[in-house]
Amino acid sequence: MSIKLVLGRSWRTVPLAALAVCFALFVAACGGDDDDNGGSGDGSGFSGEKAKTAASKCGLGNGEKASGEPIKLGAINTKQPGTDFTEIAKTAEAYFKCVNDNGGINGRPVELVQETEQTDPAQAAAAAKKLIETDKVAGIVGSTSIIECAINHKYYEDNGYYVIGSGIAPECYGTPNYSAVNMGPRHSVTGATQYLIREGVPKLVLLQSKVPGTEYIEGGFLALAKQEGIPTESLAEAVPIQDANSVALKIVQAAGDNGGVVLNFTPPEALKILQAAAQQGLQDRVKWACSTPCNTDFLADALGTTFDDKLGVNAELNLVSVDEPDTNLYKEILQKYAPDIPLGSFSQFGFLEARIATDAMLGIKGDVNKESVNEAFKNIKGFETDMLCKPYYFGEAPLHIPNNTDWTVTPKEGTMVQKEECFEISEADAPIKRVRDIEKSEGIYQPVE
Amino acid sequence: MPTWDEFQPFIVTGLALGGVYALSGVGMVVLYRTTGVLNLAFGAVGAMGALIAWQMINEGGWAEAPAYIVCVLFGGAITLAYGLIFGPPLAGRDPLVKATATLGLALILLGAMSWIWSDKARSMILPTSTENFQVGDVLVNYTQVLGLTFGVVVTVGTVLFLRYTKLGTAMRGLANDREITATLGVPVRRVEAAAWLVSGLISGVAGLLLSNLVGLDAATLTFLVISSLAAALIARLSSVIVTLLAGLVVGLATALATPILSISEYRDMAPFVLATLALLWLSRKGHTISGRAV
Repeated sequence: MSIKLVLGRSWRTVPLAALAVCFALFVAACGGDDDDNGGSGDGSGFSGEKAKTAASKCGLGNGEKASGEPIKLGAINTKQPGTDFTEIAKTAEAYFKCVNDNGGINGRPVELVQETEQTDPAQAAAAAKKLIETDKVAGIVGSTSIIECAINHKYYEDNGYYVIGSGIAPECYGTPNYSAVNMGPRHSVTGATQYLIREGVPKLVLLQSKVPGTEYIEGGFLALAKQEGIPTESLAEAVPIQDANSVALKIVQAAGDNGGVVLNFTPPEALKILQAAAQQGLQDRVKWACSTPCNTDFLADALGTTFDDKLGVNAELNLVSVDEPDTNLYKEILQKYAPDIPLGSFSQFGFLEARIATDAMLGIKGDVNKESVNEAFKNIKGFETDMLCKPYYFGEAPLHIPNNTDWTVTPKEGTMVQKEECFEISEADAPIKRVRDIEKSEGIYQPVE
Repeated sequence: MPTWDEFQPFIVTGLALGGVYALSGVGMVVLYRTTGVLNLAFGAVGAMGALIAWQMINEGGWAEAPAYIVCVLFGGAITLAYGLIFGPPLAGRDPLVKATATLGLALILLGAMSWIWSDKARSMILPTSTENFQVGDVLVNYTQVLGLTFGVVVTVGTVLFLRYTKLGTAMRGLANDREITATLGVPVRRVEAAAWLVSGLISGVAGLLLSNLVGLDAATLTFLVISSLAAALIARLSSVIVTLLAGLVVGLATALATPILSISEYRDMAPFVLATLALLWLSRKGHTISGRAV
């Protein structure tokens, strides 16, 4: 048998040619990208309208370089494939750089020592031990980790550290030495549920990723629905989702016509479901809501106009597009000190944590050391910022959820816009009720105007 | 238990996804029969092609059609390059070694995608996804139709190609015995290169369709190869017709289990359960995975 094939003659050159083609395609594809994060636009305002409101000042705001022995602070962030919170600490670091360029903490610069962990309890514990015993940090600021609060809160309590961070695990909100600037997935899901109840849905369905902690997260959703007498279905879905069309159909059928669906996923996974719903014409069959991770212009941009004003997203922090002093400073700092970090909730967390910590440290009379820094953190009360609905506080209490009032936003022509004014997260959820009682007893409770 | 009316839309989604599983499975079977390589990088290649197309459209300002063509060509080019560089040195090795080598390629591509594109939400909507029609109460979009159509067309085309073309005959010859086919004057490397190229082009098409049917996400698209692999295994890595049918069954079984809330969260097991049951049944009948002389 003799078979002739017409496949070219110079076989030695084919692998090189094929590789060259691949490389050319890759270069062509990357040609127009000026954005290191590969995103689809961040709605940053970096190149948009000029801010009319003056930005807040960095620290002392005197333009003088800080010098001398640095005040060391520490942060621990999860960094693993699919979950990277390091931009929170990097944004905090950017803020401290700005502070150091503006007089530091009464002349001394701030240094943020950053550690990472991969959802490994031993690693998280070792990171905290290193920060406190080896680096001898004066305070913990800018941490966000899937497990760190649960692993280290006792260690911090024993060593007198009061942590200003952003949280995920229940211990970030239910222990005495943590006070997060965000409210976490449980309360954000409750906030998204409240939006749907205001929309008058007859049934509620919660769909979240199937990871440890789903029962904790659904707690507020179930308590609120029970209080309102609305039937519920709480479902979990393994991620990454591989059949988004079927998942979208499932939750719409489970909610029934005009029912309400709450999604609690990372933006890419939520996008899959929302896009599948749009392709099957399901946007108007039910009311849609989402917890905080959906509050990103990346998602709004990817959705196009399909969910304009049809998706209520719970927003723990204010929109990055507002023209307000702290938000303008946040944008200026990212632009100057960390241009690779995109605008969004994560970098807002880092900025706010560093800003709060700086404000507290500037109030220290005398030596700035571990004792005085943590005393200052513990005594924070009534910290006002345009990034939060209500002032941030720390204080001595068995639990801390200072961020318990927030907004609802919605996609509109590729960006997120405000849909509802500030509202209080429902006290149907027991931890929120406890926090409000503490606020009232301390005289720091502020009702929403 | 959902009603028949409630099941109907899941038949559409199941057939669409099953069609693409079949398409991918056929690409893997053709390559395996010709080269003895089970290409586990099939999904990663398609994912990277789709992300490149997304980049070209959204960041490079390219028109959609050329970007989609680049996606398919990228699949063909990277797979062909791998086949030409690593195929000959691995030709005499155990099939497990060959498959593991492709897993290396998959991990390299997955790492590159994570590094370049991070895990931000992004999407690429084919024009066919925005056009739809009604079948009873079910809304069907044309990407779903394309998924099923491509699966059927590529399968039938492959059967005809293998039966009626010289290259197809050479591929079948290689599948039976590489050494004897070579001694008969068949240019083995060229035939294998053609198989790598065709398989790669199919991975590009599958990546494009799946980025719409499932989502534009590197990890998801990379690991969707598992469902296609199940279809190929049910066909004992030999019959493209059975691969088509198995792909459709896998897609349908997964989709139809979705609205049944009591078993919904276990539906991802469907491909493995079906493959295991099929292999057990086949082994009782005396059939095994087609051994291929290397």
